[in-house]
Amino acid sequence: MTRLLSSAIAALLLLLVAGGCVSEQERQASAAVADYFSGNLAAAAARLQPLAQNTDSNFVLNNARLGSCYLAMGKLDEAEAAFLKAYEVINSLGVNNGGRSLGAVLVDEKIKIWKGEPFERAMVNFYLGVIYAMRQDYANCRAAMENALFKLQEYQDAKSDQFKERDSDFAIAYLMLGRCFQRLGRDDLAQANFDAAVRVLPSLAPLADLRLQAQSNVLLVVEVGYGPHKVTDFDGSIVGFAPTPPQQGPVPWPMTYVDGRWAAIPGIHPPPLDLLALAQERRWQSIDTIRAVKSAVGTGLIYGGAIYGAAAANRRNGMSSQDALVSAAMIGTGLLLKAVSQADVRQWEMLPRSIYLIPLHLAPGTHQLSLRFPNARGLDYTWNQLSVPEHGDVTFYLRAHPAAPNMAAMPR
Amino acid sequence: MRLHLFIFSFLLLLAGLLSAGGCATAVSAGQNTALDGTDLVKMTDDMSAKIMASPAVQRQYAEHGPLKVVVMAVENQMRAEILPRGPAEAFTARLRNLLSKHTPTQFTWIMNRDAFYRLRNSELPVDLGPSPDAINPTHALTARFSSLASEDATHRDSYYLCVYELTNLTDRTILWTGSYEVKKTAVKGMFD
Repeated sequence: MTRLLSSAIAALLLLLVAGGCVSEQERQASAAVADYFSGNLAAAAARLQPLAQNTDSNFVLNNARLGSCYLAMGKLDEAEAAFLKAYEVINSLGVNNGGRSLGAVLVDEKIKIWKGEPFERAMVNFYLGVIYAMRQDYANCRAAMENALFKLQEYQDAKSDQFKERDSDFAIAYLMLGRCFQRLGRDDLAQANFDAAVRVLPSLAPLADLRLQAQSNVLLVVEVGYGPHKVTDFDGSIVGFAPTPPQQGPVPWPMTYVDGRWAAIPGIHPPPLDLLALAQERRWQSIDTIRAVKSAVGTGLIYGGAIYGAAAANRRNGMSSQDALVSAAMIGTGLLLKAVSQADVRQWEMLPRSIYLIPLHLAPGTHQLSLRFPNARGLDYTWNQLSVPEHGDVTFYLRAHPAAPNMAAMPR
Repeated sequence: MRLHLFIFSFLLLLAGLLSAGGCATAVSAGQNTALDGTDLVKMTDDMSAKIMASPAVQRQYAEHGPLKVVVMAVENQMRAEILPRGPAEAFTARLRNLLSKHTPTQFTWIMNRDAFYRLRNSELPVDLGPSPDAINPTHALTARFSSLASEDATHRDSYYLCVYELTNLTDRTILWTGSYEVKKTAVKGMFD
């Protein structure tokens, strides 16, 4: 029986250690992220494509990563398909019910199907909205932005009689919603959403202007910087996001030049979205406490087992085999608990720190458009053939990144 | 001995959880409040039966012969529900197919311009019917999906109202209208 027990513990430890090793899929995903940030978007997409087909616990994550690649490449159909796959699972409830939830709590959090933190879920919807805006499909853009707001909405106690929705912090989605409603002929709802954006971020007042947005026939969606990354504490059981906005410093801000002339747009800085700030509001985390308790109990069992063993060994007649077994079992269980209290640090690495929305009013025809970032090195973009149609408007997406000057999706 | 049994049972439980956790895939588990394939079938079966039984439609056919109908994609007015192009077209395309099958002489179906040229460029083996430029439609089959949706810390609710209309393009009158309503609720789990 002792032998069986020891083998079982050894096997489980091996399993956990093996589980902690980086799999081939994770290696491929990491390589794809590296390709993305070095500007080799085609290689990143090629690596992610087979991973994104796999309906495992990383299905949403890999499709979100793939969508980021395709969007930066300007492949809107492919980006839409990838983001829609992620969107469908994010919108499905109870995906992790049953064995997965229990396994994630008791064994390893990575067992759960990754649906992302609320800001990551909101970003999947936001990107879908940007894709639909680029296609001038404002009905779907509106729907995507509304769903993005759902993901970041705050609620008072759901059990309370005075249940009430509060505004989401996602001001950028309110701005986009305002634009959508304007283009769908609902100025009343556009105004309500612009007002909501200003309530969340008063500095947006000049930008959230009905007339300015109505006149604008070109919208630049410009992403800068790196999004938050997950960090764990000394024993890996508590997770947080770093860096904080003060640690990272000011967001690079863009200056827009049209046909060589500076276009002064009121209210574009500070940006309507700073994911580093948003990530600090980790009000949604639910199993940090469970992991911390598992880790603390594990530590207690390790110390308890060691003390028990030492006390037994100091007895006059020495340590019996029963004492040795109890001590080993306590230490083993403690180690197991420590091992299974590791936080899930999977995250969507491609997210930017900030997104600027730059509305422009340009005459129909071809223009030269330049974006310069005075407080950031290596960010300087010029497009000589930006085509503005006679009717309707165009949306243009740019991922400003020093190593990758061509991560931009031209309007179609 | 009791301790051994306890630890052994604990390990067995953990192993069971590990394997149970791996059973369901990301796309096979969970529930969604979006309109799905079941709604598509129920809705279009219902609409086709109602349109075929409509006295106004029958009268129009008797007076003017086959109705030349252009089919439009669904207009998305749903709150927080994306309706991609494919499904938006499927919700009217299946109705068109049902009516073509059951009343082949009453309607001449004309694809809308966007869908026609996109499908023609895709070179898919699809019977596109007459070119929208070659024939002037007299009627339009349109659909408008609206919803009220809410999401809170415990669940997500969606109530859908899907309205179909057959409009006479000559005098802008609505020849027939039908609707489908459904309410869906999904309950949030621990990691939702």
